[in-house]
Amino acid sequence: MPDFSLSEEDRSLQDLARKFAKTEMAPHAAECDRTGRFPEEIYRKGWELGLMNLNVPTEFGGSGLGLLQQCLIVEELAHACGGMTTSIIANCLALEPLLLGGSREQKGRVLPPFCKEYHLAAFALTEPGTGSDAGALQTRARKEGDGYILDGEKCFISNGPVAELYTVFATLDPALKHKGITAFLVPRSSPGVHAAKGEEKLGHRASSTGSIRFDGVRVPASDRIGAEGEGFSLAMRTLDQTRTPIGALANGIAQAALDHAAAYSLKRKTFGKPIGEHQAIQLKLANMAQDLHAARLLVWHAAWTIDRGASGTLESSIAKCFASDAAMRITDEAIQIFGGYGYMKDYPVEKLLRDAKLTQIYEGANEIQRIVIARELLASYA
Amino acid sequence: MEIVVLTKPVPDSESRLRPNATGTALDTTGLKFVLAGYDESAVEQALLLKEASPGTTVRAIAFGLPARADEALRASLALGVDSATSVEAPPDTPVDPILTARALAHAVARYRPAIVLAGKQASDDEAGLVPSALGEILGMPDFGSVVNLHWLADRNVLTFDRATPDGLESIEVPPPAVLALQQAWNDPRTAKLPMILKSRRAPIDRIPWPDVAAALGEGAIARTRPVGFRLPSARTGAKMISAKSAEEAARELVRILQEEANVFP
Repeated sequence: MPDFSLSEEDRSLQDLARKFAKTEMAPHAAECDRTGRFPEEIYRKGWELGLMNLNVPTEFGGSGLGLLQQCLIVEELAHACGGMTTSIIANCLALEPLLLGGSREQKGRVLPPFCKEYHLAAFALTEPGTGSDAGALQTRARKEGDGYILDGEKCFISNGPVAELYTVFATLDPALKHKGITAFLVPRSSPGVHAAKGEEKLGHRASSTGSIRFDGVRVPASDRIGAEGEGFSLAMRTLDQTRTPIGALANGIAQAALDHAAAYSLKRKTFGKPIGEHQAIQLKLANMAQDLHAARLLVWHAAWTIDRGASGTLESSIAKCFASDAAMRITDEAIQIFGGYGYMKDYPVEKLLRDAKLTQIYEGANEIQRIVIARELLASYA
Repeated sequence: MEIVVLTKPVPDSESRLRPNATGTALDTTGLKFVLAGYDESAVEQALLLKEASPGTTVRAIAFGLPARADEALRASLALGVDSATSVEAPPDTPVDPILTARALAHAVARYRPAIVLAGKQASDDEAGLVPSALGEILGMPDFGSVVNLHWLADRNVLTFDRATPDGLESIEVPPPAVLALQQAWNDPRTAKLPMILKSRRAPIDRIPWPDVAAALGEGAIARTRPVGFRLPSARTGAKMISAKSAEEAARELVRILQEEANVFP
């Protein structure tokens, strides 16, 4: 029989994240959402407690957590603020290609500084013309001497405006399509790197997202991750690892929506009794609870599958896709339960809907997840 | 210098509390136990002393059912104490503060600490008896409501202040001493993730209840027993002001404050 119990260690990590979320993140969530401020002091505190770089092995100074434990932490953080959580876990995404494909020398050189001091990294794959169709990316890497010259533009990069190191995917020849894509480590301080300021966004406003331009940026061969042409595979294997925590992030937002809606339904009265005593509201709450429970189990199962050494492509796609869609349904219903108040910015639930929306889009749009799911499904019938 | 910190496992303050079926005690089924808040301050104080005087070691000691004591001890290890001892409580019979002090004294005596630190009371029963009873049993001076504790190595004295209703009292005492600390004056640190992982794998020294009972002889039986437990009754006396406008509500509020509550003359 499967065992769904969490270990004492799992629970103590949850407690740490919950306490940090409640005491450090939640009090500033509304303000950062309103102003779009990037609360670096909160991220620094999170780093001090070891809540960043969760996937970096302990031998390089990281937390070395498995995916299930990462997901437990991410859900707790996202309960307080999805946007802040995106910025806190962006390092995991940016450093994952190095963990998967980097040499020992590169890991020993690049990873420890992130664990010894607060530094941000960003994963730069998406371009103005290519999001889901990552194999068609246009950023060029030209070989020159003992290195490469990068030219092109990336956009919608989480922590792009503030990160000090970028994991950049560029092509040696667009005609090679995905076989030409190669991954590079590019310090923001390299001549020719121009990071734009953060974009104005619907949600995740405490996170900073922006474009990065590369104008003849020289990258030594020692900063290429993996082999030439291995970049697309590295990007896909990275997303296999990181899309499950996006499901956990969606669950954190959804749990917050359910918590607010259930508590409100016991206080708000119509027709002489709390709205939670009307079946119309009870049915909504029951549907929200079912959705969230299923989403959480899918996330835990995907994380468990990957922790056991499998690629988990199918499981993580299902988990991310279902959890993010569920978060949209749940946050939508939370607003409905709050009625007019729910539509007001003075109340916390409209932010949750705006934050949930991104989880359907980033780290593989849900349409792509469904393509992956269908492909895996049909392969088993072929 | 060896410091011992007494760390009591108490129900998480966010738990939902209810009496047991017989109404004699708290129902502890499914309750989560955590390190008591005052004792967290004591752990923080121990760590500050350790940081100020290299070579100092800190040991946490907890008395309780093993699973609960472990929660307090692992929380202390995650904060940075060096070692931990679990003193097992009797599985089926109630304990009281004096029995607790005796059992802890049996353990503390093994380590010959220069300082024994504790919270001035526990956040569950708030009895505040264990530190002074422990001092009495061990023949050590004991003080409560301690803040600003320092060890002056050159003179080998402990200096601290006591927060009294009238002001701060400053005291010097040569070690060993039992000091019960005021809560939260020192803003306890938060355990970091790697330390939490490490604490879960750290060894805990264990003193089984039969050993404790044998050492205490007749003193191993609690002299008091709980006979009743009930939750505080719900607060009453809230008054809702109904009015047609904010202005009218404000007038009514001022009237009540002046005439009924006598807040304003």
